Amino acid sequence: MRDYEVVYIFKSALGTEDIDARLQRYHEKILAAEGSEITAVEHWGKRQLAYPIDRNENGYYVVAQFSTEPGALPEFERLLKLDDELLRHLVVLSEGELAVPISLGDDDEDDDRRRGKRGDDNDDEAKVAAVDDTDADEADEADDEADDDADEADDDADEADDEADEADDEADEADEADDEVEEEEEDDTGAESDEGTDEEDKD
Amino acid sequence: MGYRKVCRFCEKSVARIDYKDAGVLERYLTDRGKILPRRATGNCARHQRQLGTAIKRARYLALVPYIQGYYG
Repeated sequence: MRDYEVVYIFKSALGTEDIDARLQRYHEKILAAEGSEITAVEHWGKRQLAYPIDRNENGYYVVAQFSTEPGALPEFERLLKLDDELLRHLVVLSEGELAVPISLGDDDEDDDRRRGKRGDDNDDEAKVAAVDDTDADEADEADDEADDDADEADDDADEADDEADEADDEADEADEADDEVEEEEEDDTGAESDEGTDEEDKD
Repeated sequence: MGYRKVCRFCEKSVARIDYKDAGVLERYLTDRGKILPRRATGNCARHQRQLGTAIKRARYLALVPYIQGYYG
């Protein structure tokens, strides 16, 4: 028995009854496994998406926490994938987070900033394995080529950043790594973090 | 973000960074939506790792952007 948390994003056009009916159906699937329990269901309500998903600008967020056997999850997730009205879902192990974070609701971002963005193909990017410093160089080249490529290169650069930081803690290689990462950042990021680097280099 | 020497999450004894808390996560993104490196955030190793995971989850859930200010 483990504690899980699931976030659903429904199409905002759905009515409350539709959403409730769906939640009911999903949660029945969990409760079918012996000893399972739904501990919390929180409706965040309609919220603007940070980027369009399948041309939807808004989504209806629901967070549920439950405990069940790991074996019950594949069937549960299969059910979620089949539902076309469910834009996204994420099931993760619950680490004691609150179902409703404190800062929820202050969604003050510019509408315009979200435009021209690809909504999909993001599932796997979070799982991308560690990238070494040579990849940062490749990312540089990719940056100059095509727009789509540039997106991916950015992500690679992020990973390289993280790696470089860990090197800082450990050994002298950190200096080399930093230099490479610095070049990367001068291309496309704000001056703020660059200043931070310069300062540290003098040390 | 200035030069912070102490991890803000440690100061507040945060056990687990919440991926749903977009308000907090946004402070650790550049204006382009990239994750700030540790030398800019001042975070300790544990919390920087947690932060990375949290931001990536939040991106998937469209709580924070993958990229920002891109008009291509």
